Amino acid sequence: MSSMAGPARRSAVSTTTEFGDVQTKGGALSPWRLAWRRFVRHRMAMVGAIILLLLILYVVVGALIFSEAYANQTATFKRLQGPSWEHPFGTDPVGRDVLARTIYGGHISLSIGISAMLVSVVVGVLIGAIAGYYGGAIDSILMRFTEAVFNIPSLFLLIVMAKFFSGRIPTVELFGRSFSGSVIVIIVVIGLTSWMYLARIVRANYLSLKEREFVLAARCLGVPNRRIILFHILPNTLAPIIVTATLGVAAAILSEAYVSFLGLGVQPPTASWGNMLDGSYVYLESAPWLWFFPGLLIVLTVLSINFVGDGLRDALDPRSLTK
Amino acid sequence: MSSKSRTRHFGLVAVLLLLAFALSACPAQPVAPVQPPSEAEPPSLVTITFVQEPDNLSPLYTTMWFSGILNDFWLLGLWNFNDNLEPTPQLAREIPSAANGGISEDGRTITIHLREDARWSDGTPVTAADFVFTYEMIMDERNAVISRHPYDQFVAGVEAAGDHTLVVTFHEPYAPWLSSIFTYVLPKHILEPVMKANGTLDGADWNRNPTVGVGPYVFKEWESGSHLLFERNPNHWQQPNIDRIFIRITPDDAAQVAAIKAGDTDIGVFISFSDVPELEALGTVNVVSTPSGFMEGWFFNFGEQAHPAIRDRNVRWALAHGFDRWQITQDLLLGLSEPPASPWDLSPYASPNIQPVPYDPERAAQLLDEAGWVMDADGVREKDGEKLILRYVTNMRRLRLDTQVVVQDMFRDLGVRFELINHPSDIFFASYAEGGVIATGQYDIAQWSSQPEAYPDPDTSRWTCREIPTPDNPAGSNWNFYCNPELDELFARQAVTVDMEARIALFEEIEKIIQEDMIWLGVWQDNDIWTVSKRLSNVRLSGADPFWNAANWTLE
Amino acid sequence: MTRYIIRRILQAIPLLFIISVILFALMMNMGDPLATLGGRQPPRGEDRLRLARQLGLDQPIYMQYIFWLVGNDWMRFDTTGDGVPNTYGTRRGILRGDWGTSLVTRRPVVEMIWQRLPNTLLLMGTAQVVIIVFSLAIGIYSALRQYSITDHVITTGAFIGYSMPIFWLALMLMYIFAVNFKKWGLPYFPTVGMYDPAVGRTFSQVVWHMALPVATLSVTAIAAYSRYIRASMLEVINQDYIRTARSKGLPERFILWRHALKNASLPLVTLIGLDLPLLLAGAVVTERIFAWPGMGRLFLDHVERADYPVLMGILMLVSIAVVVFQILTDIVYTYLDPRIRYS
Repeated sequence: MSSMAGPARRSAVSTTTEFGDVQTKGGALSPWRLAWRRFVRHRMAMVGAIILLLLILYVVVGALIFSEAYANQTATFKRLQGPSWEHPFGTDPVGRDVLARTIYGGHISLSIGISAMLVSVVVGVLIGAIAGYYGGAIDSILMRFTEAVFNIPSLFLLIVMAKFFSGRIPTVELFGRSFSGSVIVIIVVIGLTSWMYLARIVRANYLSLKEREFVLAARCLGVPNRRIILFHILPNTLAPIIVTATLGVAAAILSEAYVSFLGLGVQPPTASWGNMLDGSYVYLESAPWLWFFPGLLIVLTVLSINFVGDGLRDALDPRSLTK
Repeated sequence: MSSKSRTRHFGLVAVLLLLAFALSACPAQPVAPVQPPSEAEPPSLVTITFVQEPDNLSPLYTTMWFSGILNDFWLLGLWNFNDNLEPTPQLAREIPSAANGGISEDGRTITIHLREDARWSDGTPVTAADFVFTYEMIMDERNAVISRHPYDQFVAGVEAAGDHTLVVTFHEPYAPWLSSIFTYVLPKHILEPVMKANGTLDGADWNRNPTVGVGPYVFKEWESGSHLLFERNPNHWQQPNIDRIFIRITPDDAAQVAAIKAGDTDIGVFISFSDVPELEALGTVNVVSTPSGFMEGWFFNFGEQAHPAIRDRNVRWALAHGFDRWQITQDLLLGLSEPPASPWDLSPYASPNIQPVPYDPERAAQLLDEAGWVMDADGVREKDGEKLILRYVTNMRRLRLDTQVVVQDMFRDLGVRFELINHPSDIFFASYAEGGVIATGQYDIAQWSSQPEAYPDPDTSRWTCREIPTPDNPAGSNWNFYCNPELDELFARQAVTVDMEARIALFEEIEKIIQEDMIWLGVWQDNDIWTVSKRLSNVRLSGADPFWNAANWTLE
Repeated sequence: MTRYIIRRILQAIPLLFIISVILFALMMNMGDPLATLGGRQPPRGEDRLRLARQLGLDQPIYMQYIFWLVGNDWMRFDTTGDGVPNTYGTRRGILRGDWGTSLVTRRPVVEMIWQRLPNTLLLMGTAQVVIIVFSLAIGIYSALRQYSITDHVITTGAFIGYSMPIFWLALMLMYIFAVNFKKWGLPYFPTVGMYDPAVGRTFSQVVWHMALPVATLSVTAIAAYSRYIRASMLEVINQDYIRTARSKGLPERFILWRHALKNASLPLVTLIGLDLPLLLAGAVVTERIFAWPGMGRLFLDHVERADYPVLMGILMLVSIAVVVFQILTDIVYTYLDPRIRYS
């Protein structure tokens, strides 16, 4: 187990407060503000944030220009047309506008990235916190399970789980739009295959934090365990969670792309950047615009999120000060 | 210091570039795959590309199409079907008929006379005992064979009356006998010892390395993921013109098309519709389309789980009128196919009096209105508070996914919505016991390609009442859950009607009911498309047994 | 140390057991392996019922798991369908070395994996060498020139490489080096397979076919590894003993290779140790796109058909490799860093 526990990382904020009250009065020395200052000075993080902002603008403003009906409108007589003024990104094998589909596909890919990250954070924090806080048999059972899931290469697990859940959830209506049930499936599946790393970090933090005075004091005052886990310790371990979660969004977007590329992901007519690439390699030579644009958007998104995540890590990790 | 290490860095790049060029400087040198024999002329070779690798070669253990079509090279049956879908004798001397005494008067006994000069590739004569052995192996409980059709339900017994006479007895007259009995035969002298030793043929080496067979060619080698090789069989009664058949396995359509373009293959198999124009333009190959009996169609669900609208005949007709299938065949299939009028389209059993339902959106709207499904404010038709949203299910074939979204768009103005659902084939076609999507009726419209069970024979049990799957009858094949005693009666009669003219007349009535009741709607004729190199002649591909005349192929 | 290793191995046993249970439960509900046996048309209902009985697919999941684990030759089965058990099973179970038989090809799973394993190892091993060489070169170079323009370019490049979906990179490489090179009349790379079957499995053919998949696999990993190496090099370079070495006037190159690199390679060892078993898994996507006949493609081909014996075989093999390499990594670590002791 020695390789697993790792050194209990000290989070940036843990030393300053008791009872998990992170709001420090007086301003100047607040660790969060310090972190923010470090973040805005991080050049790559700012570049990433700007690209990300532009991408979000692209999908938001794009949706105002092109309707979803237009994105799903087929015109088989003009299938597989190259980029033109009318269709800047060309048309697909049933004559839909690729540009409009990358906009609506972006909604799906980004939502999947964020939602899957939330699922994995909830699962990871829950398992890590319970294991770290209670210790003993609960800890060793949960960590065995974590290690077991960790040991199966994630793409394999993703494929098997995607197949396991596929087609079990009907189309859902949300915000007046209908989504293929496969979107939900993919969110759950990606979330359930990516929580292990976070669970370990959270567990390690809880292991060290639960022995600290403010937790012991809370216990003496009779604060229930659930409250201690959620309101006393959790805020003190937020920094690594934030960093992992940010990078998790990028990883989830990539995972969605992989599964969809293999045909097991988001199902038509709902577009996602990943499923726009599915089957497009048949057109490697004859219609490169089919795979070039969605792929480029994936790269840009993942890249900018990674930049931001890297900046957050440097900003929130006090060790980065020494560099 | 910095400049020094920069030079080092450039050095590294240079080495890598050199390496890359060195690699690129050794292009592939095409050589014959096997060393030519000592004779003066190198062996002639025909290359065929397969986009799927056979699971194995024994017809006992696979009914996969890519495996089955190889049988005409190395494992013949009694007869096979030529490019006009007429039976052509192979191991049988002639096709049994009432005239030549092959069919008994009650129609239950078929007597087949075998060729006396037929030899296994190791020289052992092929006798009636091999056929009896084949029958026993198919029926043996210890062999987990893929299909026992038709032996388990229809055949009463198989006997050898002498070395070269085979007698097959049926429980009652069985019209599809011609296309279903002994499409292959097993070498008793090879497999009987294996059966005795192992108690089963399941793991027999012969299934994968069938070095003994009967046909113009004999199996030589199989390298998984790469190729299969067949060589001229010196013991066959007719010596083929070409020495070797090389089956090259390509991973996908794109690779096959590339091989065809490069002239690396003589016969391309299972070509996508969308690749045809490009291949026709080459000028080096002929594109051939063979009717395979497969018809892509919509299966409507009559079961309890179906949307109430689907069980209304008017709504089904409205869907047929509203579905412009010509748009699919013209644009997505590039005009290479037509919407079929019946499941037996392009066969002698297709009645000329049955025409495809025409595209007529106005009539469709009218029918929907009459059925009480009226347009709502949100543009979706509604009746008794239920919206007209139908589950349209299919599997992952690209063309089907594309059809789904085109259809969804096509019906938008008509006020019909579709919920598009697609599953991988192993879930789509899962059995009733496994909770299969289609088998348990969790759909309104299902689209796939179907073929009569014993093509080219038209017989099918797909739409009979007794085939409706239930907990007591989980094997049922009527996944439409359609029941009509009148249709049952017609199907029962055609199955015992051996006279072809009478059978065609029965099928006309069957097709009429299928269309009038709108059980099934044809979307496109799912023909098999091939390319045949112009240096090959006399390749007469058949929709049933494509390589039936392989021994007659010639190479220029 | 020996006691530590033994303890780790003992701990691995329940771990692998849990993995197998999780995977088996998922596999059992993944699809109907009999559905695709007929190829273009599902097999007849009667045949499917009989096959399910003969292949043991009609048994409850826990029984199927037990058969997979310890075999079924101790139990009688009803093969005739009359409800009376009459024949003993023939499977011996994975614990007794029987990995089962593929439901679709009817060949032993071990044989099928064995046929693909060398291909995957070849592809991945080559990629791994390329990765180590390049990431060391790039990592060290950019560490030595921290904050220079080259360093920034490399860092950005690493982020881009790391953010790129493998399949998109593969498509780009194919488009440039196969499609367009061909158009421009340059020597172009083949895009599919391991060798041209008309030529045969010659050395030059395999190398030629391996170029693009290896490049695809390497880029992402080089991007990630070189970042780690850069970071750990920076950490090491600023440590006292390097300063001491410098002040002693030792040649820079000597310091770099003898002192710094050895210590900076620690994280690399961990990374490689944890990533090596994934080699067995093959980069599923890469093998799919380049049609490389390795384990990844075997996995995908059989996932499509819910052929659970093959899938279980591949996944258990990979899981065992993961566990073994974790232990090996720990051992190697102690040799590289004597400060680490396991008790």
